[in-house]
Amino acid sequence: MIRIVTLAPLDEGDLGFLTRTLYRSFGVGTEHVGDRPLPKGGEGSDGRFDAVKLLDEAPPVRAFADDKVVYLTDVELSIPEGPLGEPPAWGFALQGGDRALVSTFRFAPRGVTESSIEVFRRRLARECTHFVGHLWELHHCYDPRCAMHPSWSPALSADPEHDLDAFCREKSERRIRLAKT
Amino acid sequence: MPGTGTRGNGFPVKPSGRRERDEGKEKDPALEGNIASAGELKPADRVVYPNQGVCRVAGLEQKDIAGQRLEFIKLTREEDGASVLVPLQKVASIGLRRVASADQIEGVFHYLGASYDDPELDWKVRHRDNVERLIAGGVLGVAEVVKGLHSLARLRPLPAKERELYDSSRHLLVSEVSVSLGIPASIAEDYVDYALIPPAGVKLPLKPPPKPVELKGPPWKRKKPAAEDEDDLGLADLGLDLGALESEEPVEVEGAAAPEAEREGEEEAPAAAAEERAPRADKPGKKKVKAAPKKPAKKPARKKAHPAKASKPAKKSAGGKRK
Repeated sequence: MIRIVTLAPLDEGDLGFLTRTLYRSFGVGTEHVGDRPLPKGGEGSDGRFDAVKLLDEAPPVRAFADDKVVYLTDVELSIPEGPLGEPPAWGFALQGGDRALVSTFRFAPRGVTESSIEVFRRRLARECTHFVGHLWELHHCYDPRCAMHPSWSPALSADPEHDLDAFCREKSERRIRLAKT
Repeated sequence: MPGTGTRGNGFPVKPSGRRERDEGKEKDPALEGNIASAGELKPADRVVYPNQGVCRVAGLEQKDIAGQRLEFIKLTREEDGASVLVPLQKVASIGLRRVASADQIEGVFHYLGASYDDPELDWKVRHRDNVERLIAGGVLGVAEVVKGLHSLARLRPLPAKERELYDSSRHLLVSEVSVSLGIPASIAEDYVDYALIPPAGVKLPLKPPPKPVELKGPPWKRKKPAAEDEDDLGLADLGLDLGALESEEPVEVEGAAAPEAEREGEEEAPAAAAEERAPRADKPGKKKVKAAPKKPAKKPARKKAHPAKASKPAKKSAGGKRK
């Protein structure tokens, strides 16, 4: 079961589209648990939130073995700087773990037109699929049409695909079959 | 074990003869951190088992196998807790090594970020190289596999087997970076991809990358400089004395293309000379030499068509459908 927790208000229609997409991508039930307050502990001096700390301090929700919890927020995230610099953080997930964090901060503005809302929803679905994929031990994929392609890649279009490619889909299905309790 | 003592940790000390050989090995940066004998290990050490990932040394274990009492080092794979038993004598040969240092990992990132536009197109050579690099190349070898396959994937989708290899080598690299830098695996993967696929408009602060791992496999599958490659027909590999052949006069080979005038007028003299050099010709009265010169002339022709990089068309023909 995938459980979605919102740390910032999100439209019902967006949530509906997200739950349907996650169900279609992974074949496991998806539900919105509810809203929770944003923990302030991970906020840095520059106003950004440390993704690792934020996920660590995210309010727990009731879940069972093999459940995956996705926290949605709209704040800007940061991750520790690496040897070549700091990659842009669209979210964070514990590889093979049970919790992931996705931020809508870097998305194109939702807007009010039908097309802009559609783009926002598809991007939200893509990023959530990406980080839930990490929870199922999927790695990044070289194919820009796959949801596991790095989110900052210049090869991604403005409205990227939100499905997994055949390899990633098969791998996630294997993991899910093995993990089912 | 004969010739070995034990340390305080209970693990046998390596024999002195092997130590001398291993000192030479450590000069190669690719082999930096390689474990030469069980004496270098102690319980709770973290090591990398090629193709398996980061393991923790659990201790020594003895087992009776086929009537023999054998000693093993027991390793526990950190990822899933699986146990791996390595015979004491095999510690050096399986490529067990220490987890890469932070300096090595930094070099890996500079290597990943460097431009790379020459993926190996011959799948046979590529596959052998990749397998060898994963076993003997250290962390840089794993990075080479990831980068090579990633570059190839930009040209065309990878076949299923190589897609698996790409995924597993990426997994090995990410877990080693994660352990070495003490960060979560997903952040380690972000670092790897930040180097491989930098965002638009970002210029990475790259330093000269470390020297790629030199594989020590059979020479026919190693890359040679282009100038040397053009002249080298691979005769040296056949164990023939090339100096002797070059100094002598040309010998007519049956079936070899030659100008018509040369065949008619000049056949007698070279054939006679050749007969002297090849006394084992089947028919003593015949002037042409068949067996002796034919062998070196035929072999290079086959060599050229071999998938190893003799020429580009040969590569394509040998690649088959799996390219």
